[in-house]
Amino acid sequence: MDNPEFWLNILRLGNLLLLLGLGVFLMLTLEKNKQQKITIDKLAKSLEEMDEQAKLIVRTDMELNKAQEELDKKVIGLYALQRLSRTMSTSLEEMQIFKKISPSYLEELGFEKAAGFLWNDKENDFIIQLNIGYLEDEIGKIRTAVNLEKDLYLDLIKEEKAVSSTSIQQYSGLNKESIIHFFKVNSFVISPILPKEGSRGFLFVGKEDTGEVPTEGDEELITVLANQIGQAIENARLFEKSWKTQLELEKKVEERTRELTNVLEEVQKISNRKTDFISSVSHELRTPLTSIKGYAAILIAEKLGALPPAVKERLEKINHHSDELVHMVNDLLDIARIEAGRATMKIELQDLQSIIATVSDLIMIQCKNKNIELVTNIEADMPLIPTDRGQIERVFINLLGNAVKFTPQNGKITINAELKDGVVQVGISDTGIGIPEEAISKLFTEFYRIDNAINQQVKGTGLGLSLVKHIIEAHKGNIWVESTLGKGSTFFFTLPID
Amino acid sequence: MTAMNIGIGVSTEINPAQAAKSAVLQAMDNIYDQSSVTLAIVFGTIEFANIITLKTINNLLGAVPIIGCSSAAIITNKGIFNHGLIIMLLCLPQNIYVNTALVKDIKSDPAMNVGQELGRKLLNGFKDVSRNFTLILSDGLMEDNSSLINGLQERLGTSFPIVGASASDNLKFQKTYIYFNQELSSDAVCGLICGGKLNFGLGIKHGWKPLGKPNYVTKASGNTVYEINGASAARLYEEYFACDIFQLKKSLKRISVFYPVGIHLEGEQEYLLRNILFVNDDGSLVFQGDVPQNSMIRLMIGSKESVLSSTREAAQEAKGNLSSKPNFVLVFDSISRYILLKREANKELEIIKEVMGQDTPIIGLYTYGEHAPLKEISYKGKSFFHNQTIAVLAIGG
Repeated sequence: MDNPEFWLNILRLGNLLLLLGLGVFLMLTLEKNKQQKITIDKLAKSLEEMDEQAKLIVRTDMELNKAQEELDKKVIGLYALQRLSRTMSTSLEEMQIFKKISPSYLEELGFEKAAGFLWNDKENDFIIQLNIGYLEDEIGKIRTAVNLEKDLYLDLIKEEKAVSSTSIQQYSGLNKESIIHFFKVNSFVISPILPKEGSRGFLFVGKEDTGEVPTEGDEELITVLANQIGQAIENARLFEKSWKTQLELEKKVEERTRELTNVLEEVQKISNRKTDFISSVSHELRTPLTSIKGYAAILIAEKLGALPPAVKERLEKINHHSDELVHMVNDLLDIARIEAGRATMKIELQDLQSIIATVSDLIMIQCKNKNIELVTNIEADMPLIPTDRGQIERVFINLLGNAVKFTPQNGKITINAELKDGVVQVGISDTGIGIPEEAISKLFTEFYRIDNAINQQVKGTGLGLSLVKHIIEAHKGNIWVESTLGKGSTFFFTLPID
Repeated sequence: MTAMNIGIGVSTEINPAQAAKSAVLQAMDNIYDQSSVTLAIVFGTIEFANIITLKTINNLLGAVPIIGCSSAAIITNKGIFNHGLIIMLLCLPQNIYVNTALVKDIKSDPAMNVGQELGRKLLNGFKDVSRNFTLILSDGLMEDNSSLINGLQERLGTSFPIVGASASDNLKFQKTYIYFNQELSSDAVCGLICGGKLNFGLGIKHGWKPLGKPNYVTKASGNTVYEINGASAARLYEEYFACDIFQLKKSLKRISVFYPVGIHLEGEQEYLLRNILFVNDDGSLVFQGDVPQNSMIRLMIGSKESVLSSTREAAQEAKGNLSSKPNFVLVFDSISRYILLKREANKELEIIKEVMGQDTPIIGLYTYGEHAPLKEISYKGKSFFHNQTIAVLAIGG
């Protein structure tokens, strides 16, 4: 065991074992490191992959945002357009239509500046109707610039198609750069305004923002707006037209009314003159008539000596006719007085019963002669009525006289008096020959006489009913007649109680 | 002591003088004592960025402090208006203090100095009062918004809550306006500090989600990032959108709004978002706020659903921090959200009203950037500049 060789060998073996162990350990460590490296590589790789995914997400998100923005812009623009259309359509004045486009609407449509032009035939150039975003002198310069190239703008209107700074290259006339220069914008849309009637024009909208260019959507939006403006202008013009027509019509009606009033006044004057004439003529007639009657009376009384019967008979006729003439002249004078408002009614409270009794007594003899029954129906409790007794008696005598005249033998005349709707209504009915329908409307006019057998035999002046009407109307009453041919007539008149 | 009294008026009349008059008169309807108006907050779309607007308000109200700014659209509980002017009149109780300040011509100074200057002016005469928060309104075209906040924090304290908005214009990114008393200025920042017994709650959320693998900012300075993953910064966007630098520049407005960069902040639930302002020819990207070197960034993606649910979370968070019913709510809403939601933009307003109560007065604007604190403990409530974010500030009794 003391053999050094032995220990040496043991040592060598130990070294060998150690080396072997070390080798195994090294091998194991290397393997572990390799595994770890693989894991780290895997992690790094997946991180890179995730980052690539993040890039994809970010790019997609940006595209989505862009699309969303475009969509939002369109929706906001459409909302603005809808509201704007509604307010514009309520405007009936051409001048007010452009004023409805406010800066905030324009902003919602996606633009900052706007100018509206309408063609003026008289001046042969374009006139500014709308200005948003320009100072006074700026817009003046723009107008000048537009009118220098007016033919190009007129061509654009004729084309009836919108252009924008994006699409204008395809268009041969207008120059994009000069528009951008004069209107002080970076992008723009121009759309014609095309009302069916009257002058046309165009709408310009623009923005300074260099970032965005007008899309087809913008062009469409502005075209719709310009169409709405055109439509509103058209409506305003139509309204203006019909309004003018109506005004003219009203003016004509007014003129015609004035003419008629003048004519009426003229008629009134003539009527007055006629009344005056009748009045003066009647007066003139009365004097000689009185003389004639006086002389005839003297002669008939044979105060100037006896007369042969033939002469006396003739003189009596003169006297009778003179009486009729006096009667007629008096009636005429009364009518004239009442018409001229010169006849004053002596209004006092009267008892209708008593008036009717008086006139019945007077007419009774005539009735008896023809065997006509006279019936009186007066409502009990009839109040006193304010009237001119003498005049109302004349009314009764005239109407009753007519009734007797046109009622055949054995007929019947009825006087009714009743209170109706706050007035006294009197009806005088007969069983006479009646009045033809066409005569009724003329019945109360002066000198009108119905053409019938009785009138041909019995004389009359044609003044009686006219006088009656005048008296009733002077009492603020009404008079009318109802009649059936061959059966009889009823004359009604009313008298107010107060 | 009187309770807080708020009046709101909105007008869409075109003439600035008429609009201002009509809005003030509406707001006055709800004010019990005209002489007690402490402050007027005014937001208007670009057509009202007119000195006449401020003069008219002054004529009607007297020397009441006014702060406000221009905006692409205005938010009110009566709706969102693309053209309009909104005025909120505040009568604050005696135990609540406010101070306002303006710093003009800020372009010529480093943003850090501007922030310090604003902080100094705000604290002027505000020494012994317990301070609650600061509200700032800045020119929306300002580039280095992070430094502005840093400067302000140097004066006000790192953990002091700063809430605010970058003014916006009609999406042309040409000129934004700050209203301050009788002054109308671009290239300015104005602020308001509020102190005393005021109960307020703030909620900030955006809802954008990370996409793709993490990337590392390998070279950056301030708001300019030169290299990402060792390559030119623009490469990140070129790869994701499969475009070259020229196309990237062309569609930058859209890409910047929808796919900002998110900076990972340890422990924060949401990433801090940054919009790209420009792409330089050398491939570097200029952001609206700081992007620190060595930070881990992700490409972010937003959807209508995620944006709307973040609005709800922000409103709930603001309300949750209040101990009472809100008296009024201020909303600083990123213009990106407006563009993303488009026709559904008023859904955000509906959600806020749902959370805050239908009758709670709300005014707000769309911003080119938001200033607000982060809440995670490791950031100690430090305020940051945000993009794509909605900040809801609810003021209680």
